[in-house]
This record gives sequence, C-alpha cells and structure tokens, in this order.
Amino acid sequence: MSVRLAGLGWVTPLGGTLDGVWAKLCAGETAAAQSLGDSLGTNECLGFLVPPSAIAEAPRHPRLRRASAISRYAVAAGLAALLDAGVELNAESAARTALVFAISNGGVIYTKRFYHEIVQNGAQAASPLLFPETVFNAPASHLAAILGITGATYTLVGDGAVGILALRMAEDLMSDPELDRCLVVGAEELDALVCDAYRRWRLIRARPPLEPFANPPRGALLSEGAGAILLARDGKIALEQIHPGGIFLRRNQLVRQLEKIVACLTTNEKPDLHVASANGTFIDAAEWEIATKFFPDAAIYAPKAALGESIAASGIWQTIFAALALRETTLPPPSLGSGLTNGERALVTSCGMNQQVAALMLRRYSRVA
Amino acid sequence: MAGLTHDPEKKTRARVAIVAAGVVSPLGAGLDATRDALREGRDCISPVTRFSVAECRCKTAGQVDDAWLAGVAPNDRKSRRLHRAARMLIVALRELLAQSPGFRPELTIIGTTSGGMSFGENYYRALLREKHPPRELAAWIANYPPQKPIVDALEACCLASPCQVIANACATGTNALGHAFNCIRTGRCERILAGGYDALSELVFVGFDSLQAATPEKCRPFDRDRTGLVLGEGAALFALENFEAAETRGAKILGEIIGYGISTDNHHLTQPNPSGIGPRQAMEGALRSAGLAPNDIDYVNAHGTATPFNDAAEGRAIADLLGCVPVSSTKAMMGHSLGAAGAIEAAITLLALRDRFLPANLNFRAADDDLDLDIVADQPRPAECARVALSNSFGFGGTNASIVLAAAA
Repeated sequence: MSVRLAGLGWVTPLGGTLDGVWAKLCAGETAAAQSLGDSLGTNECLGFLVPPSAIAEAPRHPRLRRASAISRYAVAAGLAALLDAGVELNAESAARTALVFAISNGGVIYTKRFYHEIVQNGAQAASPLLFPETVFNAPASHLAAILGITGATYTLVGDGAVGILALRMAEDLMSDPELDRCLVVGAEELDALVCDAYRRWRLIRARPPLEPFANPPRGALLSEGAGAILLARDGKIALEQIHPGGIFLRRNQLVRQLEKIVACLTTNEKPDLHVASANGTFIDAAEWEIATKFFPDAAIYAPKAALGESIAASGIWQTIFAALALRETTLPPPSLGSGLTNGERALVTSCGMNQQVAALMLRRYSRVA
Repeated sequence: MAGLTHDPEKKTRARVAIVAAGVVSPLGAGLDATRDALREGRDCISPVTRFSVAECRCKTAGQVDDAWLAGVAPNDRKSRRLHRAARMLIVALRELLAQSPGFRPELTIIGTTSGGMSFGENYYRALLREKHPPRELAAWIANYPPQKPIVDALEACCLASPCQVIANACATGTNALGHAFNCIRTGRCERILAGGYDALSELVFVGFDSLQAATPEKCRPFDRDRTGLVLGEGAALFALENFEAAETRGAKILGEIIGYGISTDNHHLTQPNPSGIGPRQAMEGALRSAGLAPNDIDYVNAHGTATPFNDAAEGRAIADLLGCVPVSSTKAMMGHSLGAAGAIEAAITLLALRDRFLPANLNFRAADDDLDLDIVADQPRPAECARVALSNSFGFGGTNASIVLAAAA
C-alpha cells in the first residue's frame, strides 16, 4: 500500500498560507510572542497566537457561527490542503474521503467559559450553547459538515505525539480500497489556562526565545493553529513508513523508546533530514542523542523554535515542514548539520510531554506514482 | 435464527476473535456480576453522590461503587494520584488478563469523551478559590489528559503498548472496537486491546443537564413518553486477536467481532437527522462488512438514550433496515456512560450471545406510535437461538458506529 501526501495546509502564528509561512521560515523569521492575559490571577503567560489575517480568507459557514477559534483554524487549514491537492469534494468524492482529527487540549476557551459559569454562578448558569463546543470532536464535526464527509470521521486525543498518531490511523484507514483519500488535521487554540497548566508542570518558560537543544533545557513556549495533510494514492511525497508509536512511563525512558522506534524506521535507509519535536524541554536531549547515534550526517531542524509548541498541531506542522523541505530541497535557517541537496528522506519524530512518542519517514519521488 | 449469508470476499480477510474481556459499570464489576444484574433486570440508577446536583434538573446517574475500585493499586503516592477512570480500567484489565494471562497487545485503542475531567475541575476550582493552590495541582494537571488513565492501567498491569485514544463523543467505545477490528482484519495487527472508559464529572453532567437532554424522571428508552437520558460511568476492555492465531495457541474464544460500520451525520452538532440516515448508514456498513443480510441479525443492543431525538431516529432506522428484530437499550439500567457506553454494551451483547438471553429495556410503559419495534420490555427474554447481534452507538458531532458480534462456535 502506498500512501502519498497529496495536499498540505497550515494556519500558524507566522500566517496561513503554505508558501507565505515557508518563505518566512526561510527568511529566518520567528513568531512574535504575545501576552495571553492574566484573568485567573496567575502569572502572565506569553504564547504565539495566530494573527487574524491568517484566517481572514476562510469561508463563512453557519456551522462556524458559534464555533471556537480551534474550529476556524482547522477549517482553514483543511480547505487549504484540499486546494493544494487540487481536490474539490462533491457528494460522491466526499463519501470516499475520511477525516482524522488530532487534538490535545481541544476547545479550551469555551470549556473554561462553560465551567467558570458553573463554579462562579452555579449549574443554572451553564450555557447549553457552549457545552456542545466543549466536546473533543466538535471541530472535526464542523469540518466534516463543511466538507460534506459522511463516512469515517475520527478524533484522536493525546499529547504532542497525537498528530503523527493521527497520520498512522489515517494510514490504517487507507488500507480500505474504497477510500480514495483521508484528510488529517491537527489543531489547538491557546488560552492562559493552558499556559498556566504547563507552567505548573514546569515545562514552559516565561519569555522567548524557544531554544531547541539548549543545554540545560529552558522550557517551551506554547502556540496555536492547525495543520492539515491530505493523504491520497498519488503524489510526489510518500509516507514511506509510519510507526504505531509507543509510550514512556518516566521521562528517562523516552530515549530508549525513541531509539526503538527510530531503529525500525531507519533499518534500511538513513534520513537526509530529521525534523525534530525539540521544544526546550526534556525531549530535546533524547532526540539529540538519537540523531547523533543513528544518523549523524543528517540535517536537523526543529520548527518549534519559529512556530512554538502547538501540541496536536505540531506533529502535523513538522510533517508539512519535512514535505516542503523535500519538495523544495532546501532548509530554512537555522538547521544543524548538512544541507538538503538531493535529499530524499525525512524523518519526523514527535515526542509528547505526557508519555506518548511517534515517528514517521517521508520519501520524495521524482515522478508522481 | 436466520442463516448467515455467505460472502466469498470475506474469506480473504482475517477473522477477529474476542479472547478475553473485562468490565466495570453500575451493573457490577466483572462479566459475571454484569450478567447477573442483566438477568435480574436490575435498576442501578441512584442519586448522584460525587458532586452537588442541587441546581440540576436531573439528580440521578448510574455510578460505579467505590468499593469495587478500592485496593486496585497499592497505597503509595503514585497510586493515590490515579484518576477514578484509571482505577476502573485497572479493574477491567485485571479481569481480562485473568482470562488470558499471556495477552500482550501490539496496540491499545481506547475511547473516552472526557478523560480525567474531574482532575481538571479540581485544578480550575483551586485556581479560582485558593490563594495558595495546593501541592496536588501539578499532579491533577499531569493526570488529567485522556491518554493518562489507560497508560496508568497498562503500567499497573505490567503492559506497555502504543495507545490510540479516540474521542468520537458517545460513539467512541464502539469506534475503538470497530477500528481495532479493522486493523486485525486487514492484517495490520494481530493483537489489540480495545474498549472505552469514562468517569462521571460535574462539567459533563451539568452540560447534559443544561441541554435538557438529561431527565429528572426515569430513563425510558423508546417509550412514547421518554424524556431523556441519565448519565453513567464505567469501563470495558476487550482482548482482540487474529482468530487463527488465537485458535493455534489454544486460546478460549468468547465470541467474534464480524462487522463494523461508521458514518457521519452532518445535520447538527447535537441532533441526529430525523430521517435516521446516520444510524442507518452505520448499520448498513456493519452488515456489509460482516457479509450479512438484515434478517441475519438476532438482536440489537440499541444506543437508545431515551432522548426524543435519538430514539426516534435510531428506532426508525432499525425498523426500516432490520424489520422486526428484538431491540433493547440497557441504558435504563445503568445510565449512559458516554465513552464507555459502546464498549460496555458490546460486553453486554457478548454476554447475551454467550448466555442466550436478551437484556431488558427497563421502564418501558407504552410503545411510541411512530416506531414499529419489538422492544424487549422490562424483563429479559430467553434467546436460545441468538447467534448474531448488532450494537449501536451514536454521538454528538454526528458520529455513528455499529458493530456486529457473533457467538463463539
């Protein structure tokens, strides 16, 4: 079975167009951190937010009238991936399309609002309009409705590895010959509450920059947005292998788990590029150790330095980044190691901050399959 | 029983055996306790005790007895931080492993809707009300994510496997089983641990109450005068294995999953299309996948939430597609356990096939004039010939899932 990346789309703190964000990355730009407010009396948190201009062109739809930001990002990214693939869904083709949605914190803005009312003013104040939007699969439902998808729709939850796990699930689904394509979307929205939680977990830092592979690690900075990849039967970039992932019970077990996964993916061929999930936390040392041990000649790039840690969206962003690097045979600065001239293979590793880890290998073909 | 329709294509796909199962729900802890409660037609709905429901319309739920969860883990610091959902999963997983001690899953696929939500609630309340938030704050955050209870349960039982955590609202338990079925059937995996879990939480309870989907009265699925659902909680897990591999190693086979269908109904975020098209497509898909004709189904364990919208759409779809087949919703007995519902109801369906009875649809007083259904009203029915059953789960977001189970030969 050959599954290819047929279309890519993203909504990021650096913008909402594929080429525009890529150009900014190539120019060495990083997103600007903004204050997320201090509504809970906690310390001020900074994060990378999606600028309104990034979704200004997104279509209006009745389903999005009350929807939270996460759904808007997901819809914009999903439609962009379809556009990039040149696919326009109709009833027939939508029936042969599946949707897999990756999410971690989900609709946290409405969830907070909904529960805040309950705590402050009692159950009688709870809003029946907000509650449905707090459900994990609400964004996927909106996107499916807008695209007219009537078959398989899955929402997968997890930590930062969930984007890659969603791609794995999509590959599982594509083993059904009745399916022509599967749209995989990872999305998050950012709120001070999420930052507070990660701060108490001692995983984020107060101010930029986010410095992957710094020793000692100085903490991540959170971001929001969405990434979308349309998997299909043809295209120039193949999902050559995708590992089902693993779990690590303690942080010091991450490197061993990652080693097992990477060994499976690199037995035959070494990657020319390693797109890492390094985010300024304990993850970085594990990825660095693996890279230097298994493929010391590969170029390494950590997109979170520019885009921030967007949990469920990050794994999809990393994969889009890897696909673009293979497509353009170039790497934005600052990459470590060699360049990417004639590079054919890119490894994407995605280590979550809460016990999940996953990885995949992309391959560029010179001809469309 | 109607004869099974032969599907030549089916031969090329692997069969999927259920080699072990574990369950905890308001009906009891364990398959035998669950079967006993079902045979008695026991009403396990009780006043909510886990949080205040003073301001809610609905004040009852199906609750798992804390005594069943006590002692599942040692009384150390780490275990004290286990979420109640993790404890439920440990109970279910230990039962499963007692039946199949050597079962080592390559993959775990689990459904949930709210993960460790009550820890998130503790955290938020502490942030708002405490000047100096308690030390548990970081632990609540670390143990709140949906993958954490299943990872903790795996660790408690000395297992480790990658986890796919599906959150397809109330259909998710069935989606987890169905996706696992497909992964084994297509040869991508040989052994999968699959199921669902959810523990009651204030946010979700108040949410359903605010929608007026929850009823202050008795839960009466498919009844003419139904007024809504009551919530529940629990966990159920299944050890699924390639049939041939299970047979070769001499595993006891409890039954089979033989079909799975999934559909998405885009009518509304929280309401099904009244035509029943979503449930119908899921059931049709499950039959197609099983290679069965509608009259091959001997029993339907319905989603049957007792909301006016769900039961109308589902009842219409069942009547149109399957005709006069016995139908019951077991939610009147134990409540709607959301992410666990599909898995618990699959366990109930398996028990029905294994022990040859059809569970009762409690609190059924009067038939709905619009629904032509054979409801297994109030008392379980003997079913000596039941061999194949269908279990439905539908959820917010328009997700619909159906699986077909077959009795062990």
